[in-house]
Amino acid sequence: MTQLRITGGAIHDPANGADGDVRDICISDGRIVASLPPDAPVLNASGMVIMAGGIDIHAHVAASSVTLGRRLLPEEHTLDPAAAPALEDGTIPRSGTGGTVPSTFTTGYRYAGLGYTTVFDAAVAPVSARQTHAEFDDTPIIDGGFFTLLGNDEYLHRQIAANELGRAKDYAAWILKSTGAYAIKVVNPGGVELWKRNVREVKTLDDPVGASNVTPRRILEVLASAAIDLGLPHPVHIHCNNLGVAGNVTMTLESMRALEGRRAHFTHLQFHSYGGERGKSWNSAARQVAEYVNSHPEVTGDVGQVMFGDATTLTADGAVEYLLHTSTGRKWINADIELETGCGIVPYTYKDKAAVASLQWVVGLELFLLSTDPWRMVLSTDHPNGGSFMSYPDLIRLLMDRAYRDEKLKSVNQKMLAGSALADGIAREYTLNEIAIITRAGPARQLGLVHKGHLGAGADADITIYSRDANFAKMFSTPRFVLKAGTLVVEEGQLRRAPAGKRIYVQPGYDDSLMRDLGKYFEAYSAIQLANYPVTGLRDAPMPTGAA
Amino acid sequence: MSGAARIEENATCLGCGCACDDIAVVIDGGRITEARNACALGVRWFGDGSLPGAVLGGRTAAIEDALGEIATMLRAARAPLVYLAPDLTSEAQRAAIAVADQLRAFLDSFTSSTAGEGILAAQRRGRASATLGEIRNRADVIVFWAVDPAASYPRFQSRYAPIPVGIHLPNGRKDRTVIAVDVGGQRGPDDADVRIQMTAEEEPLFLASLRASLAGRTMGDAPIVARVTELATRLNRAKYAVIVTDAESPPSVPNGRADALIALSQSLNATTRGSLCTLRAGGNRNGADTTLTWQTGFPMAVDFSRGVPRYQPEDATLPRLARGAIDAALVVGAASAIPENVVKALGGVRTAVIGPRASESAISASIRIDTGVAGIHESGIAFRLDDLPLPLRALLPTPRDTASLLKALGTAIAAQGARA
Repeated sequence: MTQLRITGGAIHDPANGADGDVRDICISDGRIVASLPPDAPVLNASGMVIMAGGIDIHAHVAASSVTLGRRLLPEEHTLDPAAAPALEDGTIPRSGTGGTVPSTFTTGYRYAGLGYTTVFDAAVAPVSARQTHAEFDDTPIIDGGFFTLLGNDEYLHRQIAANELGRAKDYAAWILKSTGAYAIKVVNPGGVELWKRNVREVKTLDDPVGASNVTPRRILEVLASAAIDLGLPHPVHIHCNNLGVAGNVTMTLESMRALEGRRAHFTHLQFHSYGGERGKSWNSAARQVAEYVNSHPEVTGDVGQVMFGDATTLTADGAVEYLLHTSTGRKWINADIELETGCGIVPYTYKDKAAVASLQWVVGLELFLLSTDPWRMVLSTDHPNGGSFMSYPDLIRLLMDRAYRDEKLKSVNQKMLAGSALADGIAREYTLNEIAIITRAGPARQLGLVHKGHLGAGADADITIYSRDANFAKMFSTPRFVLKAGTLVVEEGQLRRAPAGKRIYVQPGYDDSLMRDLGKYFEAYSAIQLANYPVTGLRDAPMPTGAA
Repeated sequence: MSGAARIEENATCLGCGCACDDIAVVIDGGRITEARNACALGVRWFGDGSLPGAVLGGRTAAIEDALGEIATMLRAARAPLVYLAPDLTSEAQRAAIAVADQLRAFLDSFTSSTAGEGILAAQRRGRASATLGEIRNRADVIVFWAVDPAASYPRFQSRYAPIPVGIHLPNGRKDRTVIAVDVGGQRGPDDADVRIQMTAEEEPLFLASLRASLAGRTMGDAPIVARVTELATRLNRAKYAVIVTDAESPPSVPNGRADALIALSQSLNATTRGSLCTLRAGGNRNGADTTLTWQTGFPMAVDFSRGVPRYQPEDATLPRLARGAIDAALVVGAASAIPENVVKALGGVRTAVIGPRASESAISASIRIDTGVAGIHESGIAFRLDDLPLPLRALLPTPRDTASLLKALGTAIAAQGARA
């Protein structure tokens, strides 16, 4: 289909100021255009709600860690078999399995079935990047990109220790370019390397990581600056120290202050917004974090909402997963990866009868409801950590429907909720336009994706069309139509086509003088040849970088 | 060396799971004449690169006809098997899985009849693991548990550990303690610093006692406890302990070793840091497990017969063949590397082989199509024994690319319509 006119729908396109306006959307050759000839084919969307395709800024869907998680969960997969869809586009449909960490094809089909058309994998070990590209090749429909892990990289730490900051920046550029990544990710800065050295806790931002001048603070500063200096479309993407620990709000706010004035994205903030004290008390500090973000326009975040039910915690933050393994007694994977990063995996169930899970659920909702700028605090569950992406529709209902939310709040464990803003009552209900912001327009802006997240002329024709329903969970779980680059992938609620998605990545430049030093380092310590490190044969054109 | 000789640097060797990627392959006159840096096993694996290029058994020698006949045979079968043999790129593995899905076939690999026990144990418990680069740079205590890598993984010790200098081991071998655990006839390296011996019968109790000891308890009688205490003390003093085991040589009588070693390596992390390193043989075995997992959610023994992947590790290739539950088979990859008992069990089943030297295979196949060897004639990805992906480059032309051929087979199957 090369041309299509969508008529009669209410358009929620906050990037272009449309809030339920009824007008035509014209599509030609995969993009949105200003107009079409009168005889162009028509899709009647009268009475329906139209938004850009959803964009997941932070999920774990295509990575060596994800496949380690898949391998760990045969029992989940057995319980959720996914038959091949009946496709009409001639591509051979694939079966798969679901659960919290679905197989690749099923991941693509299910995201598209929810009206999501772009997904970023948030944590890829650079050395495993070629696996991520291959997994994305097997994840149909969605456009995919990933963030590559740099906060615990031995070579980077050495450059910081030697105060070779130019080389640190060049190295970051080389890693991005070699892996075909989109952005720099920092997980528990310094803390993963310390875990490998059997140091299990990062107490302050100034704890030494090996060398005395390599600290979480320096790692954050150097990588935030590198992302800015390289002109990356997305700033450094930060998973703070001390995830999931009572009292970690101190570290979170200190990390934000350390980068004050510099663009930075703080991810799954729910897991980092706890007051109290380890082993003693635990309460919500969402208000403090929301207030900081509200008053600092250079900061963006996503929530990492916890949803009750099964999840799989799956992170580069190996240390925290050991704690979870010992506290839950559930099975556990740790993988220490090639002087670069780590990985920990533990299946987990968030129960509304459990005090901590209930607190986490409340903290996430408070971050949503106390944030004044939805453009800068967007939706995520840190899939599959806080819950599956399949729970997004229910999360949207919690945000849009106070009665539903308050009813649910009554049923959760109240032990740690005293004094929390949500327990005290928050009247706010998200509007459709605010939902469009936190699920499309906001992520697109945070990611610097100028062709996505909106419905203006020139945008990719990634479009989701919903039937209205008083039950917002129902409305958002079964879109009537989904278009991906102009192709109708979902028709009348059924997946009908599964074109390959595109890859979203950058190729920043670096000073070649890096290579001599890096070559020596590889020669001395690496178990892989430098020449074999870069991923070759990247398809699709890279996104531009450079000074704004 | 003639004037036409060229050297392909940084080739990845799939002779074993070490996947050394520093091989300089010398090619002269269209033949491999040298594989520099490779061990004896690697040199054998590279060979001279010559391959047959036949299409045998079809009504004509045309590849389209042969594929059409394979498609017809598989579609007509009640319970077809697609079997992944070694020496496939992960691209070819993925294409073969797609064919099995499309056919609603049973899909399996060599893993189920070799390393399956360890995979099942890791699905019950998880695992504590480290990539080989971590082991090289961090491991100060290395326990070779009933394995001497010299025989089947010849460069493991010189390239990964214990010999190389590492960031935290500036003096290389001198900074490390190597412990050989001999279990019956399965011996650790001769030049170990410490040697601990046990009979095969003692092993389960020894492992249980060792875990107890790490948890501060005593278990077993005095002779075992003495040996256990020595090992536990050394493990507890380690900064980073690695236990190395060979997934391809399980105990002759199953005794829970794989499960116990996983539990042991995990429990090391209560006090210090530790990992289990599981050795795997060559030909991109980890790639089969990995690609199958990302496509289906399961690493081996996947039954698509109901239109969805079902995990059947207790009813894998061998028992199915033995009870006549498979009536046609497609073997993909190096048929010569398939376990003997699988080859034998395939006798009497209508079989097609697509892979390197298919035309020379001992399997009595109706149709055989020669392709190339992953990493010698075909480009793509292979996974090292620690699950890291490495690039493969074609050093010589392939008779026909396996992945492309399997995709064409998928198209041929689709053209014939859904299976009855």
